[in-house]
Amino acid sequence: MISLSVFYDWLAASVRLAAPLMIVGVGGSYTERSGVFNIGMEGMMLTGALVSVAVSALNGNVLLAALCSMLAGFLMALGHAYLTVTRRANQIVSGAAINLFALGLTNLLNARLFDGPRTRVALYPILAPEPLREIPILGQVFFSQPVIVWVAFLMPFIAAWVMYRTSWGLNIRAVGEHSRAVATAGLSVVQLRYAGVLLSGIFAGLGGSALALSDLGYFVPNMTAGRGFIVLAALVVGRWNPIVVAAASLLFGAGDALQLRVQTFGSIIPYQFLVMVPYILTIAVLAGVVGKTSYPKEAGKAYNPEEE
Amino acid sequence: MADREALRLPGLGNLLLTGVRPLIAIGLAFLVGAVMILAAGANPLEAYAALLSGALVGVASISNTAVRMAPLLLGGLGIGLGFKAGVLNVGIEGQIYAGGAAAAAIGLIPLPVPAWIHVTLAVLAGFLGGALWGFIPAYLRAYRNVNEIVTTLMMNYVGIYFVSFLVHTGPMAEKDAFYPMSPPLMPSSHLPILIKGTSLHTGIVMALVLAIVAHFVLQYTPFGFRTRMVGANPDAARYAGLNVGRQIFLVMLVSAGFGGLAGAGEVLGLKLRLFDFFASGVGYDSIAVALMAAGNPLGIILSAVFFGGLKAGANRMQIVVGIETHMASVIQALAVLFVIAIGFTGQARARRKKEKQEPTIQRGGAYD
Repeated sequence: MISLSVFYDWLAASVRLAAPLMIVGVGGSYTERSGVFNIGMEGMMLTGALVSVAVSALNGNVLLAALCSMLAGFLMALGHAYLTVTRRANQIVSGAAINLFALGLTNLLNARLFDGPRTRVALYPILAPEPLREIPILGQVFFSQPVIVWVAFLMPFIAAWVMYRTSWGLNIRAVGEHSRAVATAGLSVVQLRYAGVLLSGIFAGLGGSALALSDLGYFVPNMTAGRGFIVLAALVVGRWNPIVVAAASLLFGAGDALQLRVQTFGSIIPYQFLVMVPYILTIAVLAGVVGKTSYPKEAGKAYNPEEE
Repeated sequence: MADREALRLPGLGNLLLTGVRPLIAIGLAFLVGAVMILAAGANPLEAYAALLSGALVGVASISNTAVRMAPLLLGGLGIGLGFKAGVLNVGIEGQIYAGGAAAAAIGLIPLPVPAWIHVTLAVLAGFLGGALWGFIPAYLRAYRNVNEIVTTLMMNYVGIYFVSFLVHTGPMAEKDAFYPMSPPLMPSSHLPILIKGTSLHTGIVMALVLAIVAHFVLQYTPFGFRTRMVGANPDAARYAGLNVGRQIFLVMLVSAGFGGLAGAGEVLGLKLRLFDFFASGVGYDSIAVALMAAGNPLGIILSAVFFGGLKAGANRMQIVVGIETHMASVIQALAVLFVIAIGFTGQARARRKKEKQEPTIQRGGAYD
């Protein structure tokens, strides 16, 4: 059955394309819940992708590559946290500048690091043994995927458990809704928001490595191509709950896989309209047309202890 | 962001205090850039000399700077106007695409009218196209209290891909083109060239005139006064009987219209067709342009000269010392990061000074 194999192939591609979004969405939930926008996740993802390819090229250790991409994201997020939490600078301006910085820097480094003929570096391994991969549907869609895809499926559950079942998670949720109350309870608003922002950087970096080292194996200038912004959309649609955000990411990944196929095979609907769906859906959700949601109350707002 | 407090754009207002801070930030950005150029194995002084000459020395360089500056100035004015009313329109990028598409749509029709009417209509269409693209976020922000940042950001991609559709398989696509684009626009819809042999078009004149108009409107008209009042303190404005929602709605439409004009200028003055991905980030650069000048129209002119010059000079830098043009983005980003970092220092200093004068202010508490 040719049509079925195309369908399974599409499902597998959906999962693979969704994985980076799901990973970045975990950190994104935390930073926005803590009250800090990080539109710089796009740039952190891009930097993570470059770093992971560079490290994998240098010594072939994919675990080290993953760690270094997380470190890169962490450092950039540290800058964002310093500017927006400590110095209370505008979060959007800082994030936009970080994106521009990352785009310029990765382009410069790409020209210097990988100037020879393009070679593929070590990828995230596929861990499932051969028999598992032969299972119909599930084998192709899930077990034939590199290990980072499994991480992407696991992380949202851990992140949701921490967010909804631990007191620290409660603090993170509270600090984005009412920072003054959190401060009055004797907790540090600054520490909690730093934690949120840093998590978003770490996961954005890891998500970038998932993008580069899943099946591509090399760096392409601006290879994130707005995926960091798709995560912002998934956060709204998923209401900042890591599991629901992951589900929204899967939906968007499936849409992405579909539009790539539409581009190849052609269809009545222009592929651009499929690409627009996440963005339009996000506006519709925010407008209350589809469901009802609102941002964490203090998202975007700096905490100033000396202000009434 | 239901809370109205958030409208004050924390960390921006204090930049009004001085024009020196952006200069320090730019200096620091060039310093870090120099270290990076050194690390890349080139001579920073040589690189910056090439950058400067590519931006400002000779007619070709200056016209190149001016051409690059035009969309930055218009986009910067749009964002700056938003700043004044306490809204952050991150959607200039999408509004550039929408305005460019609308202008191109008029420019493609062979109208039986004099050229100046055709081009005027096309420019107006650009403004309306941009405003239309800002309509949904503006309405949601003004009347439904939906945060404008995310909605404008999302509209960017809708705009980019809508233009992509138009020129790929849509009604404006050129048949069998090597790159997705529209057919050439009617010559009567082109913005006239100012200096023969360069690409310097009248879009820059339009941008400069609008900057001056925006300055006077903001400073000396009731509309400008209302805008600033809403931005400074929406609660007080509402208490004073001002229709805050309506003012924000209008400001956001005009802001988006400026984005549309930036797109119209690019299409009618420079590209002369509608291309796929024609703006490539100018809308985001405009944030930096407006920020450096704290949203003040006259300051935005200087800021646009700087960023336009940076882009124009980067080409010569690449040719002379082999540092790619991407270095310009890095320097631009660093300048923004430094200016928002320094911006707050000034605020802290001002506060400490105030506390010295008024020692009775109570400080402390659980969260200090």
